[in-house]
Amino acid sequence: MAIHERSLVEPERILRKERLVIDGVDVSGDWNLIILPRTIEDYDLSFYDEVIAQPEGKTIVNCYQCSYCTASCPVHNYWDERYNPRHFIYLARLGLIDELQKRADVMWRCVSCHKCTHRCPKGVLVEEVLKAILRVMAKRGLIEEYPSKKFDKFFMDTVYEYGRIEDGELLFGWIEKQGYKVVKDPILKKPIPFMGGVPEWLKQLAAKPIKNMNIGFLLLNAKHMLFHPRTKNWNRFKQVLRKVMEEEGVFTH
Amino acid sequence: MAKSVLVIGGGPAGLAAARTLGKLGIHTILIEKEQKLGGRPILEDYHTLIPRKMTPQQVIGPFIDEVQNLPTVDVKLGTELESCEGEAPNFKVRLSNGEEHEVGAIVVATGFQHFDARRKGELGYGIYPDVITNLELEQMFSREGKLYRPSNGEVPKRVAFVFCVGSRDRQLGVTNVHCCRYGCALSGLQGSEIREKYPDVDVFCYYMDVRTYGTWEYPFYWAPQEKYGVRYVRGRIAEITYNPADGRLRVKHEDTIVQRPAEVPMDLVVLVLGMEPSEGTKKVAKILGLAQDPDSQFLVPSEESGSNIISNRPGIFIAGACKGPIDIESSLAEGEAAGAEAATFIGAKVSA
Repeated sequence: MAIHERSLVEPERILRKERLVIDGVDVSGDWNLIILPRTIEDYDLSFYDEVIAQPEGKTIVNCYQCSYCTASCPVHNYWDERYNPRHFIYLARLGLIDELQKRADVMWRCVSCHKCTHRCPKGVLVEEVLKAILRVMAKRGLIEEYPSKKFDKFFMDTVYEYGRIEDGELLFGWIEKQGYKVVKDPILKKPIPFMGGVPEWLKQLAAKPIKNMNIGFLLLNAKHMLFHPRTKNWNRFKQVLRKVMEEEGVFTH
Repeated sequence: MAKSVLVIGGGPAGLAAARTLGKLGIHTILIEKEQKLGGRPILEDYHTLIPRKMTPQQVIGPFIDEVQNLPTVDVKLGTELESCEGEAPNFKVRLSNGEEHEVGAIVVATGFQHFDARRKGELGYGIYPDVITNLELEQMFSREGKLYRPSNGEVPKRVAFVFCVGSRDRQLGVTNVHCCRYGCALSGLQGSEIREKYPDVDVFCYYMDVRTYGTWEYPFYWAPQEKYGVRYVRGRIAEITYNPADGRLRVKHEDTIVQRPAEVPMDLVVLVLGMEPSEGTKKVAKILGLAQDPDSQFLVPSEESGSNIISNRPGIFIAGACKGPIDIESSLAEGEAAGAEAATFIGAKVSA
């Protein structure tokens, strides 16, 4: 059976089966296509309970959906209308998980300007409440972790390894982690700048300061990239650091 | 000139008027259709009255006692107004018990009646036992002291309040276009009471907008949400169905914030009833020639006066819910004002 206005139906609601048997009757062929309804069939109220259970999430109970927060939100106003703090709160309260997931790609975009929190007439700490919602979503595997956290971890790993950061290492390591191909020299296995799949915007971004850079500084950078310097006695300090991190439960290696 | 005043209706407004008149030493005849004074809250066993959160006994009880004990007030139960002739200040009234009286002024306090939810067939009242009215919920609290599903006697897991049943609805004709004024607040209170006593029961209020006006905003809207965890969902329930597979009801609506249709399971659905003028109000309006709203049939105050207890006929004063939805404390205040106004109209003087 054909759908004449396919544009009106979200693709995920179209269910097509090669063979379809309903109550023992084979309806394959003409009747093998089902459009799933848009109906909300139930709430997941445990989601809301989990949000309230977080210290940052408590004030979600105050919200009465006036949308003062969203009207003040720069992300909503200038970037993407799908970023709507007021709406996230509503969805979290009723536990409409599928609706939250539809917005998972924009939900981390808070720039923490706190206009929402300062202006809320009901005393909702909007920015904190959203973080609580995101944490519950991440815990349930409904959303990927905050993307910048991946960089934070990479940064920490570099510091943990060498006791210091080295710009080139960090930059090219990060580019490689993002899935770009980085060309390396065959002996020291160090990345060669401007070769391989470095994104164009980054080439442009890096070219200008390098052009204007002191030649001595450039040479120093290149030397550090080739022979990675370590902080003195770092290995001993690293052991202490590791112990502390283990005690605090943040050690992830 | 007649020195008596007739008060029609023994509810909050009528009692307050009769009490004020009686205490001023004016001979007052209070007629009440039912066999008991107190009006809807007492006759129908309301549990808690908004906005003071007191019982009807606490609020109206003292008025009943005082009116019954005042030698100046003549209470006639089971009595209605039959006819009225003449003009102020010499009305000749005939009552259903055959008595005839000459009165100088009349206070009309004939009140309202609840909307009959059966008229909204799609909401399933009278079909599904677990669809009840907010009046029945009050009686559940006051008469039985517990919350249960009429179908099986168990405590419900989820309770839904359906706002504006018989209010703001042109589908019912022009008679029910007005707002019931008390429903949002009472639902907030009932929801809070449920959550306080049964913390495991989830309470949902399905609203178009929440009209807890004036000082009612905090106690009947903010507190239910913030303190008691009553959930508010924007969307008017359009249909209630029953699912035999799990024995639960489904409330069908569009969630107008999410903009998606929804059919959510509920165990107990409470319809928040609108207010209509009582039969007595319509009858008395005809007998006395009082102006009525052409749509709702509620009594309307005089166009010449800014006060809403002055009727279109001199010497007749209107108080309480016969003029439209009103809460108890305002009803009492209007009754008192109408009583005092009637006293000045017949020329009563306070002796020094």
